[in-house]
Order: sequence, then C-alpha cells, then structure tokens
Amino acid sequence: MAGRRAALKAVDWAAFAERVPPSQRAMFNALKTRNDSLTARLAALPEKPPAIDWAFYKAHVAKAGMVDEFQKKFSALKVPEPVDTQTAKIDAQEKESARSTAEYVQASKARIAQYEQQLQKLKNMIPFEQMTFEDLSEAFPETKLHKEKYPYWPHKPIADL
Amino acid sequence: LTRSLVPSAPAALRALPPPVAVGVLHTTRPLHTTQQSLAPLPPLPEKGGEVRHGLIPEEFFQFLYPKTGVTGPYMLGTGLLLYFLSKEIYVINHETVAAACILTVIIYGIKKFGADVAAFADKLNEEKMAAAVAMKNEAIQTLQTAIEEEKKEQWRVEGRSFLFDAKRNNIAMLLETNYRERLLMVYNEVKKRLDYQVAMQNLRRQKEQEHMIQWVEKNVVQSITPQQQKESIAKCILDLKALSKSAHAAV
Repeated sequence: MAGRRAALKAVDWAAFAERVPPSQRAMFNALKTRNDSLTARLAALPEKPPAIDWAFYKAHVAKAGMVDEFQKKFSALKVPEPVDTQTAKIDAQEKESARSTAEYVQASKARIAQYEQQLQKLKNMIPFEQMTFEDLSEAFPETKLHKEKYPYWPHKPIADL
Repeated sequence: LTRSLVPSAPAALRALPPPVAVGVLHTTRPLHTTQQSLAPLPPLPEKGGEVRHGLIPEEFFQFLYPKTGVTGPYMLGTGLLLYFLSKEIYVINHETVAAACILTVIIYGIKKFGADVAAFADKLNEEKMAAAVAMKNEAIQTLQTAIEEEKKEQWRVEGRSFLFDAKRNNIAMLLETNYRERLLMVYNEVKKRLDYQVAMQNLRRQKEQEHMIQWVEKNVVQSITPQQQKESIAKCILDLKALSKSAHAAV
C-alpha cells in the first residue's frame, strides 16, 4: 500500500502561470486542462468499493458452496497496482533540464556582464561636444577610417557612405 | 592704481563699461601652470578672445589702460594714422578708394547677415550632435532593456520545477485512478454474478409457482363432470331465486 499512494504535491498554478512565456502558453493551457480533467476523474471515483454482503448471499443462493468459494477467491484476490513507468523518465527530464538551465543561466549572466560593460562604456563617454575625431574613433571603432586600406577620400568603400 | 584713477575721470568716461582685470580672459585653459600635465585636456573655450572693433584684442586696451586710461589706444591709433598719412608712409591712391568701398560692403554684409549665417551653421552642428546623442541614448536604453529581459528570463527559468511537479502529479493521478477502477471492476463483476444467481433462483421459483397454479386449475376444471355441472347450475338457480326474493323483500 505504501507504493500506491504517492502524495500529490500541491502545484501553485498562479505562480506557474506567471512564469510561462507567451510563446508557450498553449502548451501550458493544455497541461492545465489535462490536470484538471484527471483531478475530476479521480474525485469521482470512490477510494474503496463498497463491501459485499456475504451473509445475505449465503442465505439466499441455493447452490452449495458457491458463495463460500466466491468469498474465498474474492478475499484472496490481489488487484495488481499499475506499474509506474514514466516517473523515472520525468526525473531524467528534470535532471536534463536542470543541467541545460544551468548552462542557459551561465550564458545569460555572461551576456548581462557584456551588456553592463558596454553600458558603462557608453555612460562614461565624454560628451560629443568635447570629442575630436580621434576620440570618436576610440569610442566607436566602427567609425574609424581605414587610411591605409583606402588611401583616398572617403577612406571607406563608396557603398558605406 | 586703477581705483585711484577712477574718481578723477570725467563723468562721461564713467559711463563706459568697467574694464576687466588683465589675464581673466584666458583662465579657462590653464596649460603648463603646474608640473602635472592635464589629461584629458580641458575642453576648448566656446568663444574666442574678446575683440574690439573686430580687429584689436581686448588685452591691448587693458595693457594700455593703467598708463593712458580709456582713450589711450584710440589716441595712439589716431596718432599713428595721421603720422602715416602726413609722412606719406601710406600713400593714398586708387587702391585706397577700392579698399574703402570693398571694406564698406564687407562690413555691411557681415553686420546684416552675420548673425543669421552663424545661427544656420550652429543649427547644422546642433543637428549632428543631437543625432549622435539620440543614438547614444537609444543604445543605452536598448542595453538596459536587454539586461532586464535577461534577468526576467532567468526568473522564468526558475519556475521549471512547477512543470515537473505537475507532470508527476498527472502520472500519480492516472495510476491511482486506474487502480481504483480495477478494484471497482472486480467488485462489480462478483456482485453481478451473485446477483444473477439470486435472480435466477427467484425467477425459477416464480415460474414453478405459476405453473403449479395453472396445472391445479386445469385439473380442477377437468375434474368437474357434467353431472356435477348440472347440479351446481341448479343450485345456482335456487340461490339466485332466494337472493332475488330477499332483494324484492329489501326493496
């Protein structure tokens, strides 16, 4: 009996719904409806079937021994519990997702560091009024004119003008 | 020195703007005042040095002010001019007239249109600056929103445990439902069979009873001989007559 009733963990659907990105909302809704339908089905079924009144049947059924036989077999019957094949897969999925999440968070933090760096650079820039063209080329390397590669004005390919 | 001269000057001269002290005009760019060299260089001043009459720097007037007062440089200029003219160091010829005309036109043009042209040039520059500043601000904004988006995605990712809990709940519920359904099925089947037996017995008994009754009735009817029939009919008629007599009496 211990293996039968794995306690249902309470899922905070409101918090869950907050964190779903808009692109995956359809999947989330599908999951939720499935969960709700399963809960409803479970609630509709009684936990134990009602007990069979053996005394009544013993009194009324004329065939000798039939009721006794039934009773014996019935109490001896063990209904097999359904085997849980999927929880292991879910756990594996969870581990996998933990790993990929860690990777993603790592990459995300690297990106944030990059952005922060650029932000600092932009914020600490001297105002444009006080810049020379050299200062501009330092601050924004893409504006640098390649005087060695294109010795004649405008020092960059005509298509870039 | 300056203060002692001022009260003695005539009132008309006091109406002129007060002269500034020497050296105040270029303190905005102190280079080589200390041993350290300034880096980054302080920015160039917005306006050039003060100039009087468009030509002569203000420092010249300040330089001469202590010795000659306010009119000093003008006297010097007039004296020099008269000296050049009288000594014919500068000869008046046709080019003097041409120069005078040209200068008149130039000065008139500058005085009339100078401010507008300057404003136009400033506007061009302003536009460039504004575009550059707008780009810079936009870049800053984009970076900040990007940082926020990344943080939000990280927060979203933290909620993945909900998904797996929900899935496991689904599985557990399915299993439990299945098990209960099986129990229920067993119960129903056994009950059906037992009920069938009981119902069969009841039905058989009922049918036997009916058959017995019918058989008894049939036999009884058969056993009534014609003699008995005649007797019973006669008895019935007598009974009827008696009844009718009593009915007549009752009425």
